[in-house]
Amino acid sequence: MPDNFPEYIQRVIEYWPALFESLWETGIMMGFAMVAAILLGLPLGTLLFLTAKGQPMQNIFIYQLSNAFVNIVRSFPFLLLVVAMQPFIREVYGRATGDPVAASFPMMLIAIALYARFVQQSLLDVPKGVTETARSMGASIPQLVWKFLFVEARSSLIIGFTTAFVSFISYSTIMGVVGGGGIGDFAIRYGYQRYETDIMYTAIIVIIIIVQLIQWWGLRLAKKLDKR
Amino acid sequence: MIKMNNVTRTYQGQDGEFNAVDDVSLEIGENEIFGLIGESGAGKSTVLRFINALETPTSGVVEVDGTDVFSLSKKKLRAHQKGIGMIFQQFNLLNNKTVRENVQLPLELHKYKDPLSVREVLEFVGLSGKSDRHPSQLSGGEKQRVGIARALITRPKILLCDEPTSALDESTTEEIVGVLKRAHEKFGMTVLVVTHELNVIKSMCERCAVLEKGHLVDIIDVVPGAGRPDYESYHQRVLEVLKNA
Ligand SMILES: Nc1ncnc2c1ncn2[C@@H]1O[C@H](COP(=O)(O)OP(=O)(O)OP(=O)(O)O)[C@@H](O)[C@H]1O
Ligand SMILES: [Mg+2]
Repeated sequence: MPDNFPEYIQRVIEYWPALFESLWETGIMMGFAMVAAILLGLPLGTLLFLTAKGQPMQNIFIYQLSNAFVNIVRSFPFLLLVVAMQPFIREVYGRATGDPVAASFPMMLIAIALYARFVQQSLLDVPKGVTETARSMGASIPQLVWKFLFVEARSSLIIGFTTAFVSFISYSTIMGVVGGGGIGDFAIRYGYQRYETDIMYTAIIVIIIIVQLIQWWGLRLAKKLDKR
Repeated sequence: MIKMNNVTRTYQGQDGEFNAVDDVSLEIGENEIFGLIGESGAGKSTVLRFINALETPTSGVVEVDGTDVFSLSKKKLRAHQKGIGMIFQQFNLLNNKTVRENVQLPLELHKYKDPLSVREVLEFVGLSGKSDRHPSQLSGGEKQRVGIARALITRPKILLCDEPTSALDESTTEEIVGVLKRAHEKFGMTVLVVTHELNVIKSMCERCAVLEKGHLVDIIDVVPGAGRPDYESYHQRVLEVLKNA
């Protein structure tokens, strides 16, 4: 930070549009990742739970297949996943670099796999008696999921989502490599390549504040919904 | 009404296969309160769970109202389960739902012709003022009352009770037995009570089967217990038992 505080403020104001734009790009990537986590990660995690051995939809083939998908995506070093997906993204989206929407594809993939695992774990933590009760009442599988499992798991599903969200931010910072922009890219461009250290730290502090806010809010919501 | 013919359930144990339930045959009459006793691991729960198909026998036939339970299609099986209420040792309430929401749950799953209302059934089990509480704010006895209300609201034709009082202390046990007996009187249903507590059987069952290591060794006509006298208070009861006062 410069010795002179007013000068620092001056610089932040000067870089503010660029900083704001990177935040916006991060926001786009996060938005896609979150939507994918909820629309696809949640069902996939539920499927993993339901098709496992001894569960109501036991199906070894589907279980192994979804499990393998989650494992492969999660164990893929993220940077390599980004690179490996380039041809695919170019195929379906037209371009693979230089914009946050293209950069969202690998984000969505990791979001699905990551959140599916959290969901599976949350459902495993629901006491077995809950499934047993649903079965004794003749509940269908959708009823079991919506009226029993998600009700009892709701706060841990939210905590899992919060944790996943924080990881998504971390993953999003890599996307600068393929020109996806975002706050991580901003920090590299100004801090690493141009030695404007104060601006880099400012960006980092902004990220930390966002993460803290999300985490605080997620935990508060989870606590409020937890009547156990 | 409920009929089991040579029912066996084989499990994979540590030292090979074993029969948790071994060639059990029994018949439970319409509107009867039937007991099933035995030591831990005797196979009581397994037998009870055949009736609503939570457990599947390895061989043998289970009939309810003349229908072979394990020949039913998925859809028909759910319809079969819809008419059976079940009460659990650990109550199995949904902790994130209020008492009212718990009791109402079965009605959200199926359409019932003539169900009780939440208000009626909570009044019956003596929980009128507590419908907006969550289970964590209730005592064990109260939780089991919620469990009973949840089972009764559909007016089941069969009520399965798996160790309904085993997580409760003695005086609460008597209260719960009282509620179950009143429910049987008022609504009329076939009741199967699984327990290892002999006094529970004595005070509510007409007949009772004894299970030992998966074998049904006897069916007993229970001499109705005078029951225990109704103590005015817990203190009274302590005095009676400890000081023969
Ligand atoms: N899914 C299972 N896999 C293997 N063994 C099982 C399984 N379920 C039950 N058993 C075994 O079958 C036997 C009978 O079990 P069951 O639960 O019917 O006994 P119980 O009489 O109800 O005992 P308790 O009083 O402890 O509840 C036990 O030895 C138990 O370990
Ligand atoms: Mg048992």
